[in-house]
Amino acid sequence: MSEPILKVENLKTQFFTEEGTVRAVDGISFEVNEGELVGLVGESGAGKSVATSSIMRLVEDPGEIVGGTVTYKGKKIVDFEEGPDGELRRSPEMLSNEEMRKQIRGREIAIIFQDPMEALNPVFKVGAQLREFIEINRDVSSKRAKEIAVDMLREVGIPEPEKRYESYPHQFSGGMRQRVIIAMALACEPDLIIADEPTTALDVTVEGQILDLVEDLQQKYNTSFVWVTHDLGVVAEICDRVNVMYLGEIIEQADVDDLFHATRHPYTEALLNSIPRPDQSVDELNPIKGVMPEAINPPSGCRFHTRCPEARTVCKEVHPTYQDVSDPDESSHFVSCVKYEDVGYDDAESLDTEATDAFSGGLVEARGDGQ
Amino acid sequence: MGRLRYTISRLLQSIPVIVGVITITFLLTDAIPGDPVQIMLGPSPSAQQAEAIRAKFGLDQPLHVRYFNYLFDVVRLDLGTSLYYGVPVTQKIAERLPVTLYLLLSSFTFALLTAVPLGIISAKRRNKPTDHISRVVALFGVSTPSFWIGLMLIIVFSFWLDIFPATNLILPWESPANVDGAANQLGVIAKSIHHLILPTITLGTLQMAAFTRIERSSMLEVLGEEYVKLARAYGVSETKIVRKHAFRNAQLPLITLVGLQLTGALGGAVLTETVFSINGMGRLIITAIQNQDFQLVMGTTLVFGLVFVIGVILTDLSYAYVDPRVSFDGSE
Ligand SMILES: Nc1ncnc2c1ncn2[C@@H]1O[C@H](COP(=O)(O)OP(=O)(O)OP(=O)(O)O)[C@@H](O)[C@H]1O
Ligand code: SF4
Ligand SMILES: [Mg+2]
Repeated sequence: MSEPILKVENLKTQFFTEEGTVRAVDGISFEVNEGELVGLVGESGAGKSVATSSIMRLVEDPGEIVGGTVTYKGKKIVDFEEGPDGELRRSPEMLSNEEMRKQIRGREIAIIFQDPMEALNPVFKVGAQLREFIEINRDVSSKRAKEIAVDMLREVGIPEPEKRYESYPHQFSGGMRQRVIIAMALACEPDLIIADEPTTALDVTVEGQILDLVEDLQQKYNTSFVWVTHDLGVVAEICDRVNVMYLGEIIEQADVDDLFHATRHPYTEALLNSIPRPDQSVDELNPIKGVMPEAINPPSGCRFHTRCPEARTVCKEVHPTYQDVSDPDESSHFVSCVKYEDVGYDDAESLDTEATDAFSGGLVEARGDGQ
Repeated sequence: MGRLRYTISRLLQSIPVIVGVITITFLLTDAIPGDPVQIMLGPSPSAQQAEAIRAKFGLDQPLHVRYFNYLFDVVRLDLGTSLYYGVPVTQKIAERLPVTLYLLLSSFTFALLTAVPLGIISAKRRNKPTDHISRVVALFGVSTPSFWIGLMLIIVFSFWLDIFPATNLILPWESPANVDGAANQLGVIAKSIHHLILPTITLGTLQMAAFTRIERSSMLEVLGEEYVKLARAYGVSETKIVRKHAFRNAQLPLITLVGLQLTGALGGAVLTETVFSINGMGRLIITAIQNQDFQLVMGTTLVFGLVFVIGVILTDLSYAYVDPRVSFDGSE
């Protein structure tokens, strides 16, 4: 396979707050190949948005990217080297802010935000906003940019695009605004689009329409996507590969089919048990117990051990290694859980966690073996 | 078109408000202590004389009749005759109102021209030295009484340094013939501006301080909005974000505040005019009150009320012009 267009290695982003250092993204690695739709899933607060803004280098104060490498088509978006006194500093290859703005943002990587109601500027006409971004990122005249904008509005299914071009955002419904945002992203002809929960704020019908639209357009333009969501249903529908995030780390990564059918990580499993599936009835649903801990002082060892139904004493002590555990017939399948390591999980005693009792009960019931 | 329709409907809506202002002025003046007849005729008038005066001014009529008479007079722009000056009230107002408007315009211009850039710079350099300095300046501005600022300015710049005059404001529309050392109208305007500097700072400092704070906070808020993040994510430069994407939205709270500050500034104008001996509406209303010139009190109060109503209308219209959500309805 050819080089991936986006390669994230050991990326770390932290927020330096008065309460302490928030390790929002704590050493994640993943890749996006050309034309691939890669999912990034996890509960609220897992660090998904921070990960996406780190890739765009748009982390806001008091946040800072503190380590790792992000390579986009050979260009170093994030890159560090060791300074003379041993501390990390930006490497000379890392793009400057100006280069990021002129070469990457919009032009190469475009972003779609979660809330379409807030993402368009209320005081400017929708068309003018589209036109401006197209002009900046495609080096075309204002007139040509307008034509592209109108064509794109038509393409994303906005009726009467010439007329709607002159409308203000508040004259659009939420779904229509999200279509405009998608048109914006596509019209700049980036090779990668990062969509941060683009359908979360929409109702289910509209969500379905938008997902269909994205799938069609993705095939037509062969754009790669990083699709952030907390909804595994959406993942199943559109993603090729999936990364599952928990508390700043990616804990499992696999092709979408393997993730659903050959689930390895207890957290992913718990996530899957918490969503309705065709082969289950609603009362078999099993929400994950407890809340995700703070990213300021993450739990020792495996970060999921406070809620993991399968946690054992060793999970508290050993930080699991993120490693490929794929079967021969599988493409790569990464997971970080001590169950798949030789660190004495099998002999360790089980750990009382927020989840164990209630959770295992639920699982047994779901399997239907009675006890 | 949404904006035109909005403008017309907003203007129509203000008619009842204006009638309300007229009514309140009428009732307030009615409640003022002191019998106008006594003031006109001295302490012990003959019953006959008093009767005659009452009849002449319609004071023998019941309240509602007087009210409708008054309303009718106001519509015809007849505000009666000033007892103290012996000329029509409208004439006095026509003479004084432009002076006060000139002062207000100049101090608001000064306040806005300094506050907007200062607020934006403070927002962009939040918690850096520039921001702290602007905060101190603003605190000084809101907490110092304007007459004190005026007196200090006069002491320093008029008496000690002798750079700016403290009295005899020259109006820009005065004829060059009446103004010493002005060869033509341009010369008059230049002199007028020179005279206006101290009164402008006196009256404008409070507004400037208030505007700076609101500009800073609304700019900070807007810079955190999703659409600003989106613009950044599409490679728009930081300068353009501030000048274009954030600017218009950030002015909305400021527009509201400018409208509200207008009342405060009218009060401030009374003090400023007194300190700098400017013959504007402020001094006129004081003269009227001191002399119990009730026609003049009514007239000036009414004008103050109307200036405020017009200020509010202008505020609403500018708001609607800047923010399409106000003037365009959601469905189209
Ligand atoms: N500006 C900030 N200051 C301090 N902490 C922050 C800031 N932004 C994010 N964080 C922290 O970073 C962590 C990850 O946040 P992030 O927004 O990436 O979560 P998310 O996975 O996108 O969640 P959601 O599904 O709710 O969007 C959280 O613990 C959050 O509190
Ligand atoms: S390492 Fe232990 S606690 Fe963590 S997911 Fe695996 S079994 Fe659960
Ligand atoms: Mg998020």
